[in-house]
Amino acid sequence: MSTTAATASAAALPVESSTATLAGKALTIGLVGLALTAIGLFVSGAQIVATSYLVGITYWVAIAIGLLLLVLIHHITDASWSVVIRRQWEHALSAFTWLAVLFLPLLILAWMKPGLIWPWMDLGHEIHGGGTVGADVLYQKKSGFLSLKMFTGATLIFFGTWIWLSARLRQASFAQDADGDAKWTHKNRVTSALGIPLTALTLSFAAIYWVKSLEYHWFSTMYGVWFFTNCMRGGLSVGIIMMMWLLNRGDYKGGVYNANHLHCISTLAFAFTVFWAYITFSQYFLIWNANVPEETFWYNLREVNADGTPNQWKYVGIIAILFGHFFVPFLLMLSYRFKTTPHIIRRIALWILAVILVDLCYNILPALKDAHGDPQPFFSITLVWVLTSVIGIGGVCAWSYLKSFPTTKLIPIRDPRVVESLTHHE
Amino acid sequence: MAHAEHAAAPAILQEVNPAVLPRAVLVANNRSFSWITEKICGIIEGKTPAWWWIFFGVAVFVASFTVAGITYLIATGVGVWGHANPVNWAWDIVNFVFWIGIGHAGTLISAILCLLRQKWRTSINRSAEAMTIFAVVCAAIFPVFHVGRVWYAWYLFPIPNSNVIWQNFRSPLEWDVFAVSTYGTVSVLFWYVGLLPDLATLRDRFYAAGDKFRSFLYGLFAMGWRGSNRHWSNYEMAYMILAGISTPLVLSVHTIVSFDFAVSLLPGWHTTIFPPYFVAGAIFSGFGMVLTLMLPLRAVYHLEDLITQYHIDCMCKITLATGTIVGYAYAMEFFIAWYSANPYEGFTFINRAFGPYAWAYWIMITCNVLTPQFFWSRRVRQNTTLVWVLSIFVNVGMWFERFVIIVTSLARDFLPSSWGYYSPSIVEIFTFFGTFGVFSTLFLLFIRFLPIMPMAELKAVTPQADVHGGSDHH
Repeated sequence: MSTTAATASAAALPVESSTATLAGKALTIGLVGLALTAIGLFVSGAQIVATSYLVGITYWVAIAIGLLLLVLIHHITDASWSVVIRRQWEHALSAFTWLAVLFLPLLILAWMKPGLIWPWMDLGHEIHGGGTVGADVLYQKKSGFLSLKMFTGATLIFFGTWIWLSARLRQASFAQDADGDAKWTHKNRVTSALGIPLTALTLSFAAIYWVKSLEYHWFSTMYGVWFFTNCMRGGLSVGIIMMMWLLNRGDYKGGVYNANHLHCISTLAFAFTVFWAYITFSQYFLIWNANVPEETFWYNLREVNADGTPNQWKYVGIIAILFGHFFVPFLLMLSYRFKTTPHIIRRIALWILAVILVDLCYNILPALKDAHGDPQPFFSITLVWVLTSVIGIGGVCAWSYLKSFPTTKLIPIRDPRVVESLTHHE
Repeated sequence: MAHAEHAAAPAILQEVNPAVLPRAVLVANNRSFSWITEKICGIIEGKTPAWWWIFFGVAVFVASFTVAGITYLIATGVGVWGHANPVNWAWDIVNFVFWIGIGHAGTLISAILCLLRQKWRTSINRSAEAMTIFAVVCAAIFPVFHVGRVWYAWYLFPIPNSNVIWQNFRSPLEWDVFAVSTYGTVSVLFWYVGLLPDLATLRDRFYAAGDKFRSFLYGLFAMGWRGSNRHWSNYEMAYMILAGISTPLVLSVHTIVSFDFAVSLLPGWHTTIFPPYFVAGAIFSGFGMVLTLMLPLRAVYHLEDLITQYHIDCMCKITLATGTIVGYAYAMEFFIAWYSANPYEGFTFINRAFGPYAWAYWIMITCNVLTPQFFWSRRVRQNTTLVWVLSIFVNVGMWFERFVIIVTSLARDFLPSSWGYYSPSIVEIFTFFGTFGVFSTLFLLFIRFLPIMPMAELKAVTPQADVHGGSDHH
């Protein structure tokens, strides 16, 4: 590309200079969702609604982490194909601040009513089988880590790290639009080199604190990697949906988009589908094969009740997790045509987003138990509060994205690899 | 997928004004196609250098240690190895995993980097693939001879109803047989398919030079390659299919190797992160070995224009990334051993760090976690001697990783009264030491008789081959 090319014109801006109306709708939907979730407190009680809300916030945080990782990996590998869609990922990163705000109710609840969501926070909490958390030797051994103060501090550090990294990446990328200085690319590479290990650590410990510790007896070294795979799949799926949305709106006219971009992101989504299956299978297989009660109880909870009868989670595991999360997207995305046909890949991406939500439900909701110690069923009122939480938090995230969207060029027009990206071919 | 967007002229090109940040060239100094052919073929066609004979002699001598070790073992029995209760598995499986792991970088470079369209792989993929095959050969020595009566090694294969004995299909050791043999086969195929155009080049050059015998030999293995459109089309398709097959295969091999340990109930072995952790470690060790081999080769044959500083940077960065992933796994294992509140798990990891094998543990940590961190520095990456030295540390560290995992868990398990301390016997030391000779011998033969770089692929990444004329249009 000649460096004497004309200065960027308004055509590189989004089709509509403002998405205020859409952003307003998203915020309204978000607030309605959150309000409905709040109403749920009076219908189903704080424990059920708060646990459902944990599913919702973890879901959107996972997606945001996935998008953060995509930007970090883009910079560290000096990738070119993704330049034209990277800007949308950057806009989405603005949601981290709001996600932090939306996590606060859980923190406040944890301090006001310890043990409501995470049983180990209440030392007097009665554990199934008798005794209290405080008297439980397994808790005592790990009490240095599982303390409310540590949990709060760690959560603040997680969000602080993600917000800081996002702000640096966005600021440098947007600044490059103005002055075209290559130093911003170098800055983002440095941010990425630091950001990848920091994100790996924070997402791992977020998964341990927020999700795994719901059953604090249970442990698995793979858990952070499992969460990472869902983050990546979520980020890639949202990335695909963003591309398709812009394509439908007509923003990607003039040669911004070509099918090879879609092929690249879809192929990555395919690769992470396989990787997710690899990680999830490995964890399950090694625990099933060793058959040690201190590990298998976590899966047993998700298969059978105390009286030996199968529960709903068993079928969720087989139908939604095994087939829905792996086989369906895997088989569909084997096809080149499906990966590069906008309306098909968009549906596959929506499907993946749906099964990620079910996967999080599978990991979180069985923490809600009845008097016999059996998990609450999947199909229950809880699912309603999960959906209202997901819609509520998702609406706020979409609003944040749409609010950021019109503030910059549609694509990073002065990125050093932008021409390679625009002319990307196989 | 003939979308209109694809066919349309990218009008937006007129509206962008990118910052200037040129990409590194993959073939330096604007070398021509003929220069590349002369350079690579010249290594094979020229007179065998004196250093090659010296190194070959030393390598064969070192390899004889393996021959001596296994001859003594066959004549005497597996008892000549240092295994004794409670450590009944030690250097045999350590060395097997070590060599198998080294092979992984070859497949990563050939297959995974190919699928990821990383063009810098072209300078190193041929040698790395060769390294994979030779590493698998070295790895195979250990399980085959560990069966004791090696003439019964064929029992490993599920030949129907042989002696009415069936293999234990539930054992990951049996899965290893299938995984490694498939991996070896596909690696050879991948390597061989890539060699075809270059073998044909050598055939034609020897023919032109009047060397009918060598022309015949290379021609035989070139399988009638003529470089036609159809040949190239089939070649590209075969290469892509093999890359697609190799990618899950390479992940499965070390996953199954990790299952050898993780399916057990032994503290320190049974942990769910083992599969991806072993794969990352394998790639890490493989890149260590690629650097160990390629840097001297670059210096001896003056290949600086083909293995540029950019290539070294890339290899160092992958080593840094995978080393850090391995460090994450070590930390997570340690943390979860504590978090699990399982006293046996906790003890095992404390014992690793501060027990009788602490020296091995800290060598592992130093070499695998700390050493690669030097690659953050551009100055270090630009010092090829230092990079080479650090790559040796990686090799050493990854051997110790397997030693630490395997031996420390066995030497002090659940029953303190049966604890012991394992030391290898001289026969084991001979056998393992000799495998470096086996590996080096094969590698020296490779660089003498086969093109060490894929000439055709290298030419495709030169600026001259760029359809846009070498400008920064992609």
